[in-house]
Amino acid sequence: MTRAAVVGAGMTSFGVHDTPLQELFGEAAFGALDDAGVTTDDLDALYFGNAMSGQAENETHLGPRVASHIGAAGLAVQRFEDACATSANAFKNAVQAVDAGVHEIVLVGGVERCTPETGRDTAAMTRIFASASHRQYEQPTGLTFPSVFALLTKRHMHEHGTTEEDLASVAVKNHANGRLNPRAHFGKETTVEEVLDGPVVADPFRLMDCCPFSDGASAVVVVSDDLADSFDAPVDVTGIGHATDVVPIADKTALTATQAARDAAEEAYGQAGIEADDADFAEVHDCFTGAEILASEAIGFAPDGEGGRYAADGRTALDGDRPINPSGGLKAKGHPIGATGTAQIVELTEQIRGTVGERQVDDAETGVAHNLGGDSATTVVSVLEGRA
Amino acid sequence: MSLSYAEWASAVREGSLLGLACEECGHTNGVPTGACPHCGNRDLQQVSLPTEGTVHTETTIQVPPDGFDEGGYQVAVVEVGDARVMGRIADESASVAIGDAVALSGVITEDDDHPAPVFEPV
Ligand SMILES: [Zn+2]
Repeated sequence: MTRAAVVGAGMTSFGVHDTPLQELFGEAAFGALDDAGVTTDDLDALYFGNAMSGQAENETHLGPRVASHIGAAGLAVQRFEDACATSANAFKNAVQAVDAGVHEIVLVGGVERCTPETGRDTAAMTRIFASASHRQYEQPTGLTFPSVFALLTKRHMHEHGTTEEDLASVAVKNHANGRLNPRAHFGKETTVEEVLDGPVVADPFRLMDCCPFSDGASAVVVVSDDLADSFDAPVDVTGIGHATDVVPIADKTALTATQAARDAAEEAYGQAGIEADDADFAEVHDCFTGAEILASEAIGFAPDGEGGRYAADGRTALDGDRPINPSGGLKAKGHPIGATGTAQIVELTEQIRGTVGERQVDDAETGVAHNLGGDSATTVVSVLEGRA
Repeated sequence: MSLSYAEWASAVREGSLLGLACEECGHTNGVPTGACPHCGNRDLQQVSLPTEGTVHTETTIQVPPDGFDEGGYQVAVVEVGDARVMGRIADESASVAIGDAVALSGVITEDDDHPAPVFEPV
């Protein structure tokens, strides 16, 4: 059932930006508003995501600042922080508010800077990212985010025989897709050999198994079902699920399950009245290659234990039967934390509209977005479908 | 019976591991919690966890965060009795693999004096 519709989408290129946060957000927001053909006067609210600019850039209370920059001061702005799932949570709340009749037209988006343009080097930014792991029971071991997903992935390799070559094939696929995306951080293809030749970050992950530090912003305009027909190319939000899982990692039931994703997908598919097989493609949270394999199983795109083989066999490639991350994913498109969730919604919207050019998935009518935060203890799964 | 962070941390500093057992669902939490994260039961029993266990998963971190001087250290989730805890593998030990037996051997406090248990292979 249609809960709301996306009628405008915009994003900056992801990469390195020597640009203040409000200017980055403005580029994405103006893009989304112009795409929808609305102005800030038409908006009822802004749902805004930013995860860690307080730590990275000494910038907090960004809501009114970005609203002022886009000429929307006065608007009610709610700001979300859920680590890497920040703007998917903003999107969920926006959809719920529109679905409930609280608002009719809202802007949803996120912005983040994570590159050395923030003045933070790799070690400093690695510590800021690690703040999403448990302060008392995980951080004191020296845990980092690559190592969080390394712990989950090693267990998957142990239980299911997933190999380093399987992991590398995810990077190869996402780089190939990212090369077709003019907004992607990386525009270069790679090979399994090149990935396996890279320096180790946290085994089994090498440099090319990891998404980059990126700067960028993304935004979408969300309207009520009733209003959507008056727009040119509405894309319906038919399901959105959101769940959490136990923190810390050691106390989760099963490390390879990413249970919050399973729960969120079940909720989203239930609302949409679909099964995983009915979806034509997915954008999933591949912060690390192993994370895409776990996600592909959790959202039902691959049977449990077979996510690695699905990637290695090309089934999740652009021309495979279960395409995943046509945008290039976080791996190649880039991962400006608070902008990632709505950037997935931008890709779903444009794929379903059929406007993405060379990276177009054939017959893309139903798309799934999977955005996780932390060790996957927050996950939001969204289902978008073309309006009949 | 509750278990605070302060009690858990001083136990780790003294070479022991405390957890909380839930009689409702059978989960044993490896660290303090206000209620069982799996079933919500608040009436949890403080338990002494075994100091010997088995590696559930592990990774060796080559790119450390600020506050940790050098990479090349191994972090593991260790099964200790009915619980699991995260700790470091002693720097002077050989690295461990999933399924290996390990024993609590000390504590590190490199991160602003927050303690983490250290294990070594047995
Ligand atoms: Zn319980």
